[in-house]
Amino acid sequence: MASLLLKVTDINVFHGDAQALWDVSFQVREGEVFSIIGSNGAGKSTILKTVHGLLSPASGEIEFLGSRIDGSTPAAIVHLGASIVPEGRGLFSTLTVEENLELGAFTKRARAFTKETIQELSKIFPIINTRRHQLAGKMSGGEQQMVAIARALMSRPKLLMLDEPSLGLAPLVVKTVFQIIATLKAQGVTILLVEQNIHQALGIADRACVIKTGKIAMTGTGNELRTDPEIHKAYMGTLR
Amino acid sequence: MTIDIILQLLINGILFGAMYGVAAIGLSLIYGTMKIVFIAQGTVIILVAYACFWLFQSYNINPYLSLVFIVPASLLVGMGFYQVLFRKVAKAGSFPTLIIAFGFLALLENFMAVAFTSTVKALQTSYSSYALTVLGLKISFVRFMAFIMALLGTGVVFFFLKNTLMGKAVRAVSENLEYATMIGITPHLINTISFAIGIGLAGIAGVATATTYAFDPYSGFVFSLKSMIALALGGMGNVVGALFGGILLGVIESYAAFFLTGGWADVISYAVFLLVLMFKSEGLFSREADTK
Repeated sequence: MASLLLKVTDINVFHGDAQALWDVSFQVREGEVFSIIGSNGAGKSTILKTVHGLLSPASGEIEFLGSRIDGSTPAAIVHLGASIVPEGRGLFSTLTVEENLELGAFTKRARAFTKETIQELSKIFPIINTRRHQLAGKMSGGEQQMVAIARALMSRPKLLMLDEPSLGLAPLVVKTVFQIIATLKAQGVTILLVEQNIHQALGIADRACVIKTGKIAMTGTGNELRTDPEIHKAYMGTLR
Repeated sequence: MTIDIILQLLINGILFGAMYGVAAIGLSLIYGTMKIVFIAQGTVIILVAYACFWLFQSYNINPYLSLVFIVPASLLVGMGFYQVLFRKVAKAGSFPTLIIAFGFLALLENFMAVAFTSTVKALQTSYSSYALTVLGLKISFVRFMAFIMALLGTGVVFFFLKNTLMGKAVRAVSENLEYATMIGITPHLINTISFAIGIGLAGIAGVATATTYAFDPYSGFVFSLKSMIALALGGMGNVVGALFGGILLGVIESYAAFFLTGGWADVISYAVFLLVLMFKSEGLFSREADTK
């Protein structure tokens, strides 16, 4: 069995006074795609933000590559090897594609390899070469998503977290995004995926969990969850 | 004759306005990254003017040569300002930081009044009143030098923001702090850099002020206001726009001072400030136009 990359144990997270996550635990193994599915406002993004150090858990532990990262800064976590593509893509619209990518390699470990990494990534993302000097804000949503994923890969992460990568994209573009996720997986990148698009998210996932109002409702392999009658009833019918 | 005067006023305005522009660029960087309205900027400029004056009086160091010490010192002092005054409250929002900046302004003014007395100082060199004559127009040498310094300062900052990784990070933080944090940019580092550059530019503006104007400990506040007007004219987060905003303000002031009596010049510049904020709050040279 592959070794553990990320181990989240009983985290409780608050937004001000309101509790957003209740005793959430899950584990991501090296090399797998782990999907977190659930409806809007269930706490999916909160999980990613907490793992990434943007929010601090009130209690619980987060271990990444064997060391505690709860309470670390995002910069330290990126440096350790986890990066995130935020919901809404998070590109700097007044910067060019190339500048966005360069900043993706801001941490010291990655900075030295900036040029090589851009070169390597342009094989998976041809848009890097064709739109290199275009302002990120002037591209379509699909193009921005590609650049956003590429930027997150600039830090050469072991764990890539994707927050709703299909949001607001046309079905054909969604397909391309998931093809890229599959390509990255084949290259050995571990992926933690948060999605409302359940078909795609479970289709690609080795394992997945369902989150419901801040609590993990179910964990299993992608196939198990996909064929689970409960999930069919709860999500598949409405979220096609 | 009249055309000559019009042109003469235009040149005076451009030469002097560039200094407002430099101060405005500093404000723009500090506001852009930290959302701090650093109202003490003008007072820091006056402090530098005193330093320049003192170096000249006591050690006979040429004011332009003193830039060699003043600019690096200002960069360091800027880092110190951030670490001491703002690091802890950088996240507290713009009101607490404005109060800190205001308190700092008052502290500096009173310190200067005690240390240097409140009498007006003016730096007199052999070339202070020298003027070049170009096509029948008189160009004050010290103002021309102030203009050149402003252009050089702007050029260096522009190059830094466009071509270095740290400069790009400054732009990224200015656009969206949360996204910048997410990709591993450390805000404190970028804030320190922005403050260093902002105060570094105040160093340049301080030398320019010392060589062109008579000043006292309280001259800084008006300078801060003028830089804010320049910033409003040029648009936030736009380096070249801020320089143009300063130049435009300088020109408006130059004409207003000539055609209207004394105090009306200031009335006009503040009125322009309000009108721009009311009707074109993104600035006359806003980013959309800049990126084309």
